[in-house]
Amino acid sequence: MIRLFHVYKSFGSKNPALIDISLTVPKGEFVFVTGPSGAGKTTLLKIIFCAEKPTSGHALVDGRNLMRIKDGELSSLRRRIGVVFQDFKLLPRRTVFENVALSLEVMGVPPSMIRKKVHQTLRYLGLADKEGYYPPQLSGGEQQRIAIARAIVNNPLILLADEPTGNLDYDLTMETMALLKEIHTRGTTVIVATHSQELLKGTRRRIIALHKGRMV
Amino acid sequence: MKITFFRYFVRQAMRNMVENRLVHLIGLGTMVIAFLMFDAFILIFVNLNSWTQEQGRSLTMSIYFKGEPERAVIESIKKELLQYPVSTTGFISKDDALKSLRKQLGEKAGLLDGLGENPLPASLEIVLSRDVSGDSLPYELKTRLERIRGVDEVQYSQEWVERFQAIMRAVKLIGLVFGGLLFLAALFIITNTVKLTIYSRKDEIEILKLVGATNRFVKIPFLIEGSIQGFLGGSVALIVLFLVYVAIITKVDLSIGFASLDIIFLSPQFILLLLLMSSIIGFTGSTVSLGRFFRI
Repeated sequence: MIRLFHVYKSFGSKNPALIDISLTVPKGEFVFVTGPSGAGKTTLLKIIFCAEKPTSGHALVDGRNLMRIKDGELSSLRRRIGVVFQDFKLLPRRTVFENVALSLEVMGVPPSMIRKKVHQTLRYLGLADKEGYYPPQLSGGEQQRIAIARAIVNNPLILLADEPTGNLDYDLTMETMALLKEIHTRGTTVIVATHSQELLKGTRRRIIALHKGRMV
Repeated sequence: MKITFFRYFVRQAMRNMVENRLVHLIGLGTMVIAFLMFDAFILIFVNLNSWTQEQGRSLTMSIYFKGEPERAVIESIKKELLQYPVSTTGFISKDDALKSLRKQLGEKAGLLDGLGENPLPASLEIVLSRDVSGDSLPYELKTRLERIRGVDEVQYSQEWVERFQAIMRAVKLIGLVFGGLLFLAALFIITNTVKLTIYSRKDEIEILKLVGATNRFVKIPFLIEGSIQGFLGGSVALIVLFLVYVAIITKVDLSIGFASLDIIFLSPQFILLLLLMSSIIGFTGSTVSLGRFFRI
């Protein structure tokens, strides 16, 4: 599903964000990417969903070479990758429903279908009664779940979550992790970036550890 | 384009205009001023132009006779005129001329009673049937007719028409420059209005791109928005112009000494053309600002 070969990424003259990263994530795996702040976790995720291009090396996602991807292919690839951002990236002036519907609207899904899928997803995440609210009216945990709803509403092949529990208390963290695991059981490849050692305790999942841009 | 997409685009454009109404209102106001100046200029220009053409087309020529001309003389003139594009001819005898002068003088017609002999010449009035502006034909005709025995003098209204047409050429040139500048101004305003709304929606654009929107999907609502704004600006400008036209122009007698100038409002075709043009300016302005934005 995801293959990186000797990927380097640097921003200007600063220390490189990623150094010689090679990894393979097969279809249907659940992987943690961990490391302290500034280790390159977010950059790694950004490369996978093409928000950044590798400075050198090769990256293949769902069979596409990200170094040579065209605009049209890029958008169709992104429709197959759901991303939960660290800062959620919700639109404050759009309702919960509209925020979640965005992923389907860009695909040209008919409105009746959009309504059905969004309702379904919000119900699944326990947000059915919140669809008319605006994100700033909701708690951090609820916003988090909206971000997840937007990422999974179009049944993506890959789900990337960047510090999905960063702003949450223990109970909500556990709840979110349970949710991500459930999404994984439906066949989605899941990559979770986190700096929290708590989250990794006792897990039997693969852990990709980064330190100053290198895999350790 | 899928109907779903189209609906989304229009809704997006409308929503964007409502959400950024202040920016849009300011932009709209400025644009209305630019379009209004342009439209007013067009209105005046179109009227002056059609009027000069009209004058050039219906050039009148008066042939004055020494005394009362013989029928044979008039016939020979008429024969002569056959080879020229003359539409109407009308003979005015010495008596007719006096009668018409009496009529014009009204109450003061008594003044004419003191005249022993009728001093007015008989004349033949002809109207040239095609545009002879810039043509040597009237002059040629004049010299030819004056050679005929019994003809005293030939006068025509060409000279000032020609002068006027020279002025019109200058006006056209000024119009081109002026119109071009106004066009650029309107384009600049739209470009900046749309740019402001793009910046205010930067986050949204980023998110749209991240969830898999194509560039086109992101751009089209802005293009619709720009076109609507251009169209609105153009419409408001035309409405204002029309109100001004009704309020002022129809109530003021515009006479330029020799002939009165009836200002006619722009024809429906012209109005459509101007609306189309303002929409195109809106569309182009959006395209320009989007181009800049997406390059970043």
